[in-house]
Formats: sequence, structure tokens, C-alpha cells
Amino acid sequence: MSFDREKLSGFLDGELSSEETREIELALESDPTLAAELEQLMAADSFAKQEFEEMLSEPVPLGLAAAVRNAPIEPSAPMASNTNRVQLRNRQAPWWSAVAAALALVIGSAGGYFTGLNTQPQIIAAAPGWLTDIADYHRVYSAQGRHLVEVDASESDHIETWLTNTVGADVVIPDLESHGLNFRGGRLLVAAGKPVAQMMYTDAAGQVVALCLIANPEPDDVFRSRQIGGFDMVTWGGGDANFVLVSDRGRDDLEAVARTAASSV
Amino acid sequence: MYQSLSDQYVARADCAVLSVRVSMPGAAAKAWGGEREKTLSDDLKKELIVLLPRLRRFARTLTRSASDADDLVQDACLKAIVGSEKWDHTQPLDRWVFRIMRNHWIGETRKTKVRLGEGHVPAEEANELVQHQTPEDALRGSQLHSQIEQLPTDLAVLLLAVSVEGYTYAEAAEVFDIPLGTVMSRIHRARKTLAAQLKQDAGAMQ
Repeated sequence: MSFDREKLSGFLDGELSSEETREIELALESDPTLAAELEQLMAADSFAKQEFEEMLSEPVPLGLAAAVRNAPIEPSAPMASNTNRVQLRNRQAPWWSAVAAALALVIGSAGGYFTGLNTQPQIIAAAPGWLTDIADYHRVYSAQGRHLVEVDASESDHIETWLTNTVGADVVIPDLESHGLNFRGGRLLVAAGKPVAQMMYTDAAGQVVALCLIANPEPDDVFRSRQIGGFDMVTWGGGDANFVLVSDRGRDDLEAVARTAASSV
Repeated sequence: MYQSLSDQYVARADCAVLSVRVSMPGAAAKAWGGEREKTLSDDLKKELIVLLPRLRRFARTLTRSASDADDLVQDACLKAIVGSEKWDHTQPLDRWVFRIMRNHWIGETRKTKVRLGEGHVPAEEANELVQHQTPEDALRGSQLHSQIEQLPTDLAVLLLAVSVEGYTYAEAAEVFDIPLGTVMSRIHRARKTLAAQLKQDAGAMQ
């Protein structure tokens, strides 16, 4: 059959005219070699899709999200955007970035890699820095659908052990089904320079509610509702950790969910 | 090579961190005035943050390096925020930012080449010149998978746009600034090359 083989790709992508499509369909029926060629193209395509899909699960450096959030809305210098770039790379690394890097090595695809603020340790330590970071993460990950979590809920035991060991505080996955929330899995994040355990839940409508905890020898002693970065949060402390429950705005049961979570962790 | 470019910004970047943190509290930002403008750009920023995983994937495919990719994503986002009035709202944000990234990357690689005394090169070749893995990339284990990695950049990034992002040939032609006919021939070449690679790998395993 005499047509340009490139049209097989056009055929796959639905980019041919109906006449050309018909021509290819006829050729495929009568020519097994051509059909085999099309199959190879389709196999290559689905391989590529899978490989590219996996790239979406990789952790986004939190410094990047922070740089976008904090970007000036007007150019600050004649050199335009480059002058505004916040350093993402690790030059004079503070101790915790070494910890983050080591975790990345040990765990494989560990959580976010945060070097954007490495020259301002006193700012990093200031509250509620980690909550701002959590809001950024929530924005990134709650929109991810299939890539919501790093480790799936089916490995709950592993999640608890892994996050407990990494975060340095007891991680227990609370059962929140009485609030219509199903546990979907966990992630390891790095917020304000410290490892953070994140447990993800979704409701029937697919809305994401995340419970995060960060080790702290002097945890908060009260429940507080806050709005940070466009999200609702409830924070509290217990044991050796501070907790935050985060969701989109407008969930009226967030504090009730937080109290259930607090009573079971 | 790109890294050396960004080295120039280290000192300024440190200042940027400071000023950014200082200006962050809402009350201070409001003092800038232009409340409506601020709201619009806040919305844009939120949308950009949601897009980050996909922007990084695109940038990684284009630059072949995780750290260059993150710099590129950041630069492109800053450009988008500063130039938000240029965004045609009938077009999806991702396509606009992909286009910014692609143009910015070509500009950066061309500048690097000129600085190295290699003169101007056709834009189509430029993005294949800078392919390296920094130690940080190695540490983060963040190289593209090998088969995709072995595709020429122009093919890989087009495959991403069409097969994965679901762009039509016309949309891809616009993002990459290439003729419509070139899209089909490149996408076909990408699949053929990948198919041959997979066949070879399968053969090697037997």
C-alpha cells in the first residue's frame, strides 16, 4: 500500500481526514505487516505514557512552590525574571538539607526537597512556617488524583513504621470513616526543614483532607482553627508532635474530624 | 552549562529570599495597592503551583536535568506572573507556560553557546547541546528513564505533548513553533525510535 508511514501515527492520534482514515483502515485489514507496525507504535506509545506518568509521582521541591507563591508580580529589575529567581540548589547546605538528601537516598522517592530558604535559618524556625509549607504541599498534591500518595493505603503497616522512623514521633493512622473519610495513603514531606508525615484521606466527592504531623518536644496544647494559604486548618499537639488537619475551605466538620483524629493518635 | 548561568544569580537570590520573606505577610503586600491585580496574580500563582508536577515533567524532558528543569520551571512561572496580562484566557494555562518554557530554554541554551564561542545555532539543535547530569541529579535519582532519555529532545518533548498531554498536532505546532507537518513526522519518528529501542532491549534480555 502506497502511503506515507507517518500517517500511521496520524491515524493513532486521530489527526487524519475521514478519507485518509478509511484508506488506512482498509490497508490494515489486508496487510498484516502494516498491522504489526501499528501495534509496535501503539506499544511504544503506551510505554512512553507509563514512563511519563511515573514522573508525576516525583516529589516537587517545596522551594519551587514557595518561589512561585512569593514571586513579585512586577519585574524588580531590568534583567526581568532571572533576577527574581530564588536559589533552589544546594550550595551551602544547612544540616537539615543533608538530612533531607540522606532520606531521599534511603527511602528512594522521599518527600519534598527544600533548599529555597537555606540562608535564613531563623526565619525557618519561626511559626507557623511549617503550616505555610503544608498549604503549598496540599495545593500540589490534592490536585494529583492518581498520584495523590507516595505509599498506598494497602500498605498501612509499612506507612506507620516508615513514617514513625523517619519523622521521629509516633505515627498512627486514625480511622476517620465515621466522618466519611477514607484513608488513601501517605507521603513523607519536608516542611520548615523537618520531616513531616502526611496521611491523605478523601471523602465520597473526592475532596482531599490531609493529616500531617511534625515531631516537636513541646507540642501545642490547644486546638486552633486557622486559614492559611487558602485552606482551612486545625492544629493541635500531643505526645511528641504537632498535628495539622488541612482541607479545602468550607468543610464545616473539620474540627470534629480533628478531634476524632486527636483521640486516636 | 545552564548551571553556570544560574550561578550568577546566587548573590541576588539570597537577597530575594530575604525580601520575599519580609514582604510575605498579607498586610504588607496589600500596601502595594492594585488589589484586583493582586487577586488575579494570586489566582494565577495558585494555578501554577497546581501545575508544578506537569511543568517539571515538561522541563525535565526538555533539559534532561532535574536541577536545570527546576530553574527553568521557576523562571517560566516568574515570567508568567509578571506577564500575566499576555495570557489569553481562552487558552489553557499549561500550554501557555509550556510555550514560555520552551522559548526560554532555547534562549538560555543559545546564550550559553554564544558565550562559549560556538556562535549561533539553529534553535532546533540548541536544546540538544546541553545534556548533562549534575551530582545533585544523581543524588536525587531523578534522571528520565533510559529509553525516553535516549530519544532526541525534540522528539521526546513532542511525544510528551501529544501522547501524554493530549495536545492536537495544531496545538503542539503552536507550542513548539514548528510547521504542522513536522509534528506528525516527528511524533512518528519518536514512536519508531522508541519501538526499535524496546525491541532491542527485549532482545538483549533473552
